[in-house]
Order: sequence, then structure tokens, then C-alpha cells
Amino acid sequence: MLSILASQNPDGGWPYRPAAPSWTEPTTYALLALSLGDVAAEPLGRAFGWLRGLQRADGGWPPQPAVPECTWVTAMVALLGPDRLGAASYQRAIAWLLEQTGEDSGLLNRLHLYLLGNAQAAQAAPGWPWFPGATAWVTPTALSMLALRKAHRTIPSPALRRRLELGTAFLLQHACSDGGWNHGCPRVFNYEAPSYPETTGLALLALHGSDSPAIRNACRLAQVQLASCRSPEAQCWLRLGLLAHAQLPPDAAPPMRPPRTIAELALAQLASAAEHGHNVFLE
Amino acid sequence: MPQVSRREFLEGSALALGLAGCSRRPPSRPDARVSVARAPAYSQALYEDLRRLLVQHRLQVRGKRVLLKPNLVEFDPDAPINTHPLLVHAALEAFRSLGAQVVIGEGPGHRRDTLDMADAAGYFATIPHFEDLFTDLNVDQVARVPFIRPHSRLRSVYLAQSALRCDLLVSMPKMKTHHWAGVTLSMKNLFGVVSCGVYGWPKNVLHWAGIHESIADLYNALPHHFAIVDGIVGMEGNGPIQGNRKHAGVVVAGQDLLAVDATCCQIMGIDPHRIQCLRLAAGHIESRLRSIRQIGETIQSVQTPFDLLPEFCSIRL
Repeated sequence: MLSILASQNPDGGWPYRPAAPSWTEPTTYALLALSLGDVAAEPLGRAFGWLRGLQRADGGWPPQPAVPECTWVTAMVALLGPDRLGAASYQRAIAWLLEQTGEDSGLLNRLHLYLLGNAQAAQAAPGWPWFPGATAWVTPTALSMLALRKAHRTIPSPALRRRLELGTAFLLQHACSDGGWNHGCPRVFNYEAPSYPETTGLALLALHGSDSPAIRNACRLAQVQLASCRSPEAQCWLRLGLLAHAQLPPDAAPPMRPPRTIAELALAQLASAAEHGHNVFLE
Repeated sequence: MPQVSRREFLEGSALALGLAGCSRRPPSRPDARVSVARAPAYSQALYEDLRRLLVQHRLQVRGKRVLLKPNLVEFDPDAPINTHPLLVHAALEAFRSLGAQVVIGEGPGHRRDTLDMADAAGYFATIPHFEDLFTDLNVDQVARVPFIRPHSRLRSVYLAQSALRCDLLVSMPKMKTHHWAGVTLSMKNLFGVVSCGVYGWPKNVLHWAGIHESIADLYNALPHHFAIVDGIVGMEGNGPIQGNRKHAGVVVAGQDLLAVDATCCQIMGIDPHRIQCLRLAAGHIESRLRSIRQIGETIQSVQTPFDLLPEFCSIRL
């Protein structure tokens, strides 16, 4: 906590690395981690002031102040919930997320894929892109699902439920042949691409509450990946993903390499808290 | 897609003009000399080879900030995916011997933990104090740079400021085939200066904007560059990740990335006229190719045809 607080910029936000400009993503990670403990009101007030000031008229958030486009980081901010963001700000963020789909799920692209003989890709469920106007990928889809699931618990709606179902279908359709997930490209030119540990863990976390042979298979793979994983980012997402399915073996992870970034530092605290029953992604 | 306000356009144009002014080569006539050096292995001989290459190009880098930009994609111990760390260290020492302040930066497009990947690829073990020298360009501060007369659908792009503020950006790719672009060399390697912090992992906006066109636009937007291509062991077939190891035994270098890449294509047995990003960036490709002059080995003496996917058989020289 103290390391995170010490890295806060004077403007209230957090940088990816100390002594750099503030970005939305590390600021959100820091705030999620700080929500685990008792923190003075002043730094939190500055942080939320910085964050609220960045929200754009369409309800989304840009990755940092110099970029006037809203992106996937909106899902991260929405994870902070209505109590911290304010109800109106939060609802606009959820509305923005509901409107986003990958360019690949547009009608013209589906028709193009169908005419090329790729009927399976033409019928793929829509996910979320990192950046508007681009393809949907695993990480922004998983983060958006976590944000929408949190919203659905507060104010259930058919639109939220439908996007969550489609998001689940997207993730299952984009699983690699080894059972896990990479960035979202499971095969290229008939080559089966391998999964990554960090995206496997995050996708499993987003699939919390779902069960299928594919998910059980992914959990087994995640356990194998965790046994040799020293990257803080990858290890934390694997622990969170396995916990979401009650499949985290005790003492399964090797010693983690020390966190280097604010996000890694915060993720490490969030994963530890989840192991002690306080999972901010699922509450 | 990003829209540029008048103020941003003027600011970006001023930045681009300023960068062009810092360039050592006149923008209208790039120095098209390309060094082709035999390098049979990743050995200590590379340190002297690289020093000699830089001297051949009479680079005036004393006191200048030089950013080495290797190609880090993913790590597989059995596949030559990434620029070899020994070549990067040899370049670091060579530029330092000329009095430059040298740092290393990269922004990989698939995985977020760049330092972990660099560690797995041997950079920490090979390059002393690597972490102190390295900047993850994906989460570096960004500046919006307009594309003047763009080929792609983008009118501007967010680039890492470390790449914009250095005096010389040294693109250090691996010599590889690419299942979308045909080849991936020093121009395609410029994708690594585009911010994933803005566009995500992967930088898929560039694909929707046109992959060949985006490569050409980035080449034109970053005028002050130099290239050192790791062609000692490259990748053929289904590159840039799933292809096969290919020993070509060369290092190719020069101040004009287009000339360097065209030369690499010929070494790989690929017709540079048929590589779309080269055609777009060159304007009149015939005259640009005619202006290239190889130093050191001839292309014929080191030519090593790379296997191509069936979809790319038309680019064979």
C-alpha cells in the first residue's frame, strides 16, 4: 500500500512506472488495490478527481489525458463500481461498454468472411476491442465482462445478460487448442498457436460462474502454467482465474519475480486479497 | 479512427519538421548505401564487425541520443523469433565507441510483460545493466504524430516519445518472412514504436488501417533512422513466429530503411518490387532501387533463398 501511495503523481493519477505521467490503467489498478485497506481520504480524493475529470462526454475513458479517444480502459475504470465513481458517471461508463463491439463483428466483415468460405468466423460472437474500430480480443473482452457482471449484480438487465452470454461465447470460441487463451488468435495459417498464462488466467476469471469441459480443461492447463510461472502479471491472473473456479491448489506457485510496475504491484495485492476471500473483481 | 484538430496538426507537423531537420540524411535523397557483411555466427567477432559497419557510414553520433530498437515478439527457445541479444549488445558498444548515449527500447505487440520476454530471450544475461538501459515503448509517454499524405486510413498515430526524441532510431529487426506482409524487416519493425498503451496488444488498428500502408506511413513519419538487420539466423516459411530457422549468415545495415529492406529481400530471394510496403514508401520504386549501392559483400555472394508460404510464391525473385 505504501509503495503504491508513494508512486502517486501530484495530479492524482498513477504512472506505469515511477516518475512518469499518469495513465488511466495504472491509476485504476492502484485504486482497486487501495480499496483493500484503510487509506487517507486526501490521496483518494485527488485520484478520483483526476479520474472523473478524464471521463469523456460519450461515457468512456481515454488511456491518458493526451489521447482524446475512449478505449478498453473504460472497463477497468468501471470495475471501481458506482459507489466510488458516482452513479451517473458509472451508468454512462456501462452504457459506453455495452455499445462497443469489435470491427470484426460488423455486417460487412461477416459477409466478407462468409464469401471467403470462413463460415465459422463469420458467425463468431462479438467481443470487445482494445481500441474502437479494431478487432475484438481476449483481454478487453474479459475485462469488459468483469465490469458488466459487476453491473448486472447491481442492476440486472436483459441487455447486460445478453452481452455477458455473447462474451462467454466469444472467449470459448477463441480458446487455443491447448485449452488456454493467448491474445485472441488461436490459429494462423493452420498453425495452432499456444496460449499465454496471463490471458488464460484473465479469461478464466471472466468465465466465473460458467462451467463446461472446456473450462475444466483450461483450469488444468492453468495449474500447469502456474507451477512454472514467475511473472507477477501472469502469476496473479492465473491465481485469480483458478480461484474463480475453486481450482487453485495450495502452494502451487513458485516465488514470484518482484513486481516492477504499479499495475504489477497492485495486482499482487489484489490476488493475495482474493486468496483471503476478498476478490474485488467478483464482488 | 483518430481525427486531428487544427492545433494538433500544426503541433505534430512542427514536430515532424523538427525531426526531419535533425536527420543526418537529406529527406529528399536518402543515403542509399547498404552494408552487407558476412557474419557466420553470434560470436565475439560481431563487436568489431558492428564498429566497422558504423564507420563505413560515417555516422556523426558523438553526444547524440541513440535508441536501439530490436524486434521482440514472443519467446520460444527453439525458434529464432527475436533479434539476438549479442547483436544488440555489439551495436550498443559500437555506438558507445563513437561517443553516443545509447538506450534500448521496444514495444512488443502480443504480450504485455516486455521485460519478462526480454529476460527469456537472453537480454538480461547478455547486456549488462539491461533494465537500466531499457524502455518499454508500449507504456512510454506518447505524442500524436500526423501522417503527411498517408497511404493508410490513419491520419495520425500515437508514438512513443522515446522514439521521437532520440537523435537516431536504430531499427534492429530479425530477417524473417511474414504471413501478412511477405517480409518483416527494418520498416515493419517500426510497429514497435506505436503505443500499445493507447492501441492495445496487438496494435490491430494498424492492420485495419492497412498493414502495408501503415508500414509505409511509419517509415515516412520517422525520418532519422538507421537499420541493422540480424540476418545471421533468420526465419523462413510461416514467419514471424511459427516459421523455421534459416541460417543466412549476414548482417545488413544502412541509413535508409527502404534500401536496407530491399537489399534484404534480394538476399532472401524475394523480389522487392513485389513487397507492397516498399512500393508504397518508395513512390517510384525503380529509381529508388537503382540508387541503392551495396558495400562489402555482393548480394549474389550471400544470397540464400528463404522458403515462402504457398500464398507468397508470387514474390519470389
